[in-house]
Amino acid sequence: MIISVSHLSKQYEIYKKEAGFIGSLKSLVSRKYETVQAVDDVTFEISEGELVGFIGPNGAGKTTTLKCLSGLLYPTAGKIEVLGYTPFDRKYAYLKQIALVMGQKNQLWWDLPAQETFLLNKEIYEIPDDVYAYTLGQLVELLDVKHLLQVQVRKLSLGERMKMELIAALLHNPKVLFLDEPTIGLDVVMQKQMRDFVKNYNELQKSTILLTSHYMEDVRQLASRVIIIDHGKILYDGKLDNLVKKFASHKVLSVVLDSYVERNKFEEIGTVVSYEYPKVVIRVKRKDSNTAASSLLKKFPVDDLNIEEPDIEDVIRDVFTKK
Amino acid sequence: MRYVRIFFYYFQGAFAERGRSFVWFLISFLNPLILLLFWSGAAKSGATFGQWTLSDLASYYFLLIIADALLDAHIEETVARIDIQEGGLTKYLVQPFSYVIQKLFEESPWRMIQGFFGILVFLLFRFGFGFVISIQTDPSLVCLCVVMMISGYAMSFLFKMILGLSALWTTDYRGLSELVGVLMLIFAGFVMPLEFFHPILKQIAILLPFPYIIYFPIIAFQGKLIAIEMIKIILIQWVWICGFIIIYRKVWQRGVRLYTGIGQ
Repeated sequence: MIISVSHLSKQYEIYKKEAGFIGSLKSLVSRKYETVQAVDDVTFEISEGELVGFIGPNGAGKTTTLKCLSGLLYPTAGKIEVLGYTPFDRKYAYLKQIALVMGQKNQLWWDLPAQETFLLNKEIYEIPDDVYAYTLGQLVELLDVKHLLQVQVRKLSLGERMKMELIAALLHNPKVLFLDEPTIGLDVVMQKQMRDFVKNYNELQKSTILLTSHYMEDVRQLASRVIIIDHGKILYDGKLDNLVKKFASHKVLSVVLDSYVERNKFEEIGTVVSYEYPKVVIRVKRKDSNTAASSLLKKFPVDDLNIEEPDIEDVIRDVFTKK
Repeated sequence: MRYVRIFFYYFQGAFAERGRSFVWFLISFLNPLILLLFWSGAAKSGATFGQWTLSDLASYYFLLIIADALLDAHIEETVARIDIQEGGLTKYLVQPFSYVIQKLFEESPWRMIQGFFGILVFLLFRFGFGFVISIQTDPSLVCLCVVMMISGYAMSFLFKMILGLSALWTTDYRGLSELVGVLMLIFAGFVMPLEFFHPILKQIAILLPFPYIIYFPIIAFQGKLIAIEMIKIILIQWVWICGFIIIYRKVWQRGVRLYTGIGQ
């Protein structure tokens, strides 16, 4: 196993101030601290070359877990091993084999072209000249940024900067890559380019990638395995396809009608999600889907009918709201 | 060579922002100049300054311009605000290279560029306007002065790094930072030479690290110290440096465990 996490917990203490001036005065005498359980008894393993999506709402503990794995945070309890190292020891031999890319953080020199940061990273990671030239050439080609290498970082668009961030992080060919919200704030075209790049990179380099994202499309396109985390606990760890089977309590019947039927007539079948004649979408209990489909065919002028799995985004939203 | 190359990459970063360097230098430049005007006025009205002549004072303040620009590190703001409070430390913690050395390479070019402006001003006033500025010319003593200057910078850098790391414990590190600023202003010799202090205040000053950063290197360059005094001061500087290294290591080891980078 490349990554092994066992009973990981991380707590923070935060100071809670009472509102107003009296609250400020009270805080001089006594302060109330609250312990926040950011990650709670998390256990999982990731094999070499896997691309795993880490999903959860804001404050679920995704980034905290990623920070523990990359050695930024010291865990309160539990054991982590990445590439055989304990991340928080931050041994240089370990740091040379990983990379952490945070979508909201910038590591490039603002006033200089990105290539200056690349050269700095070459020295920091002690990358041999030939390896540097080859890797840079490959990354520049994959991301199509040759024309931007000599442009000041401050003059680049957000998407172009993100590409440069990725190059800076990948120059040393990390075996493990932690990507925290790599597509945040990017337009749809750039998001797709990023996804394609991550997918290609994973296939080419066989590197292990752990990805967090708020965009389900990122996870859907990239990760065959997902770990769902909420309130610091893992709710699901497995294949994306199985997630729907496990958590979706319903199916969706998409119907095309031959002739008009009043909307309320469908209520006896299930919940009408949308009705724009001739199309009607009905949500039914998973176990009743076949019966509901047969009733539809019997009772209504149906031209076409499909029984579909619900959208993965809806399933995940349901998982979080039920929690 | 790797370290030299890394240093030059950082130098490029600081050089790209030379305009900002120049504006900051003006602050180092104007304060001593105003004080020099004050002393000139006092001399014209017949005041005497013990064993110091007006030329000595002029030399002191012109050297102060250079010393302030060259030796007084300002890394604490970057460490506290950008790295700790805004999460910039994350980048350094995942790199296989020492944080403190990167910060040294980041800060030193700024000092060098601003010190260069200081030397230009010094030369301008000495040769352009014909100011009589007395400085040490004995080569062996100049070497000791250089050692003292480098040691002063090392003290200043380490001290400011520790000050910056205090943000790992405090919500508002600025209070401490401003307090240190005031102490520096008084005891490092920014207002006037320590010679003019009350003996008790002077005694307090030499027990603190501040005069070893700015004041002693200046008066050594002025030729007011003999070799043995300079060696003694260099030794004291190195005692401070060793103390700061020990404190820095302890503060870093404990503090980095508190670093959260929440929301970053």
